[in-house]
Order: sequence, then C-alpha cells, then structure tokens
Amino acid sequence: MKHGLGIKIIIDGDCEAPLVLLDRYISFFGEVDPVKGIVKPENIHIGGKALVFKGSRGSTVGSYIIYALKHYGHRPACFIVKEAEPILISGCVLADIPLFIARDYDYLVQLVSSIRNGVVRHVRGEEYVEIKEL
Amino acid sequence: MYLTREQEKILNGEYGWAVAKALELIVKVGEYLGADKLVPIIHAHVSGISYKNIGEPGLLFIKELFRGGGIARVYTTINPGCVDLMGSSRIISNELLGKQILVNEYLEKMNMKPTYTCIPYLHRPPAPLERLAWGESNAVIIANSFYGAMTNREGGPIALAAALTGYIYHAGLQVMDNRVVEKEIVLDQSIGEELYGALGLWIGENITGIPLIRKHRLSLYDAKIVLAASAASGSHGLIVLEGVTPQNTYRISDKVEKISVDVKDLKEYRGTPPSVGEEVLFYIGCPHLHPSEFMFIHKYLEKHEHMNKYDFLLTIPRIYAEIFSREIEVLRRKGVDIAIGTCPVVSVLSKKYDKVVTNSGKAAFYFKKIHGIEPYITSLKKIVEMIIG
Repeated sequence: MKHGLGIKIIIDGDCEAPLVLLDRYISFFGEVDPVKGIVKPENIHIGGKALVFKGSRGSTVGSYIIYALKHYGHRPACFIVKEAEPILISGCVLADIPLFIARDYDYLVQLVSSIRNGVVRHVRGEEYVEIKEL
Repeated sequence: MYLTREQEKILNGEYGWAVAKALELIVKVGEYLGADKLVPIIHAHVSGISYKNIGEPGLLFIKELFRGGGIARVYTTINPGCVDLMGSSRIISNELLGKQILVNEYLEKMNMKPTYTCIPYLHRPPAPLERLAWGESNAVIIANSFYGAMTNREGGPIALAAALTGYIYHAGLQVMDNRVVEKEIVLDQSIGEELYGALGLWIGENITGIPLIRKHRLSLYDAKIVLAASAASGSHGLIVLEGVTPQNTYRISDKVEKISVDVKDLKEYRGTPPSVGEEVLFYIGCPHLHPSEFMFIHKYLEKHEHMNKYDFLLTIPRIYAEIFSREIEVLRRKGVDIAIGTCPVVSVLSKKYDKVVTNSGKAAFYFKKIHGIEPYITSLKKIVEMIIG
C-alpha cells in the first residue's frame, strides 16, 4: 500500500531509499561517525537511507560531519525532519542531501513504525513523498 | 528570495564550483530563515577552523573549497586555531600542529588574513550599521553591541561561504525590525569587575531576547568579558548598553520588562577559590587580550622580580608576535606561558589541572565543559596580584 505525505522542501532532489526512523534530535558532531556512516549509540547505518528524525542540535561542526558522510561514501538518500535549522541545512547543501520537513511529523512516525520494510520515494518538485511497504 | 542577475550567475556555476556552493549555502539557509534578499558584507570573520574541533571533515571541506577555486571576495579574518603559532607554550599542546598548519595554509591561499584571533575588531573596527558576517559568538556580540554593526551569529560554514561570496542573507540581526529591546536588566550597583564574568553567564542562562543594560557604563574591556560570557552560556547576539551602543542601531519596544540581578544571584556562576594542594592554572586572554590589557599585564609584572610559581597562561592574537615581541620575551623570561593565535577553548591541554582561575566567564564555561576543570572567576587585576603574591 502507498501513502502520500505532505512535505515542505528545504533542499530538493530525487530520492528512492529504505526508511530508517530515529525519533529524536541528532547532534551530528559527537553522535555520527562519518567514516563508518553510523549514528550512535544505536549504531544504525544511514548511508543510502531515507532518515526520518526530529532535527539536529549541537555544534556547528555538525555541518562538516554531514559533508564527511558523503566524502566517505555514506551519503544518506534524504532527510525527513520535524524541524530544520542552519547547521543541518548547511550540511545538506555541502553534501547534496535532499532535506524535507514533514507537514505531519507525528503521523509520519506512526506510519513508519507500523511497517516493517518501508521505502520512500520523492520526485524533484513534488510537495509530497510516497511511502510504501516492501 | 529575490536574487540579482549576478547572484543567479554565481549560483549557476558561471564563476566556478566553490563560490556556487557557497552561495547555495547562504541562499538555502536564508530562505529557511525567511530572508527576502541577500545583502553585501564588508568583513567576514571565519570561525570553526580549529582542527581539534573540525577534524578531518572540516579540513576536507576547506581543501575542497580551495581546490574548487574559492577565494575571499571581501576582507576576511580568521579565528584562533588549536596550536600556539610560536610553539613555545607548555600548557597548550602542539600535537595537532601539522593538521592545523594545513587548515591555515588553505585559508590563507584563499586570501584570508592570518589573524588567528577571536577579536577581529582589533584589525578592523566596524562602523555603525555596517553589514558583517562573523562567526565566533564573542566577536559577534561586540560587533552589534559595542560598535553598532550588523551581524548574526554565523556558524563556521556560513561565515566561510560569506567570505567567498561577499553576501549574507537579509534576516535576523541584519534587519532593523529584529533589533528591538524588550527587556531591561537592572544591575545591583555593587556588581563590579570581579563579577563581570559571572554576570555574563547569568544573563546567558536567564535572559532571552535582546536586553538593555542601563546606568552601568562598561568599557570595551569590561563589555568584552560580560558579553562573551552571555554569548557562551546563551544565544545572545546583541545586548544594548546604554551610552555605549550607538543610537539608531537598535530600537526600544513600548513594553520593556525589567529584570533585576544582584550579587547573590551570581554566586553559583563564580565558583570557589582554589584550595591548598589543588593544581591551579591562572588564565587571562578569553577573548584574546586587547593591546591595552596586554600592556597593563606587562607593566605590572615587569617591575616584579619574584613571582609565585604558578602556571600562568595568556592567549593573544597572532599579530602581537610582531608588535610586542620584546614584551612577550620579558614575560616569558618571568615564567609566563604565552600562546599565540590559539586559546584553551579550541585546543588540547598538555597538563592536567584541578582548577582554573580566570577573569572570563566564557573560559569558565568551556573549561568545565570541554576540559572538566572547575573554574573560579575574578578580575584581571586580582589574578595579576595573585601571581605576584
């Protein structure tokens, strides 16, 4: 089954990738290992994934960490967040990662939690993402 | 967001990859913050260049900007790195020297001035209402509050992008309608120099928005300490100082809420004096010492034959290595540890301490947070007196 979900585009781009949910704020500096492409302490690999999370916090070095994910070959396919801020936006510009704000983040979290292997699809210019179960 | 034809050309890559990426960064962040246009800046100050903080990812990006043809299009100064540029400090470690020098070389090749200081107004004091794009929160708040210039608190990548493009987004403190005082901090008149660092920390933690301080005329040296601390423990970019902040660079709301602070509120921020047996570092130079402060310390210590055998660290801008070489030599011979173009906030320490005694609330905040060292805040003069004994 497919679900269409409204988004606000911050950085546009095509995206088709498996969904990963981390329903919290992430400090990229300190919590993300760009060489391995994982988020700590969960040790979840985010390279090539569509990552759903609340947003970012912490040091402005976070932008460089996001850039480093791309450099080390672990660029996420896109980020879908509850709220953005300059450190996250800067990092996504540097690393060419599409960044979207979910219009109904809580519903998105509920949906992603209820399916096992979700995939997200977004086509440049469209104000929504499609979510389906594999 | 409205873009000029020239800005469109930059974005489309007609002037190369680096400047296109840099402008995209400013446009995207600006759009998010609700900016209607970009505005030209006169001076960029690039923070986030300490290798200890940015590590390999930051070095990689700066290198890529340089290789992509990046060049500063406006006057650009650089924040302190993580090593003593004269290599003689025994307190600040030089273990990351090679990497920091690489960062510095790329920045300098991109036409940025090798200032390595967090007080860029030393090199070019801004004029009222001049537009700047400065990283480094202590410099930002001095630019807005003391000089009446206009800058937001930019993160490292944005300040770098502003240097390469010469533009910044028209939002936040770049817009006069956002420079409006809504609170007044009523200071107990007995709050003096020894408490300025603690006062700044209290403001940062307890006051949001843009406050005004009346009837407590602060010199640049005092303002530096109060404002740096409030920008470290809070997110302040402008605190209006009556009789100091140039008029017409801010407005006062019709409704101003008054909040009082007295000496007892500051006690917990000040910390406790060192006890016998504790390993103590005495530290002055956060923000970097102004020439008058440096000369004051020199004059005071020069005439004293004997000093207590404490570890005493001063951190100063790179340019002092040239203009104060004799004074630096005199102080070093007396056992003062002088580190140039760096500071303990962005570097690794070679020695372990139980306590740091400093005049800086900002240093106190970061010593505890980064190095796990308990601070005690007092005045610059008191620290010098303790050193002399």
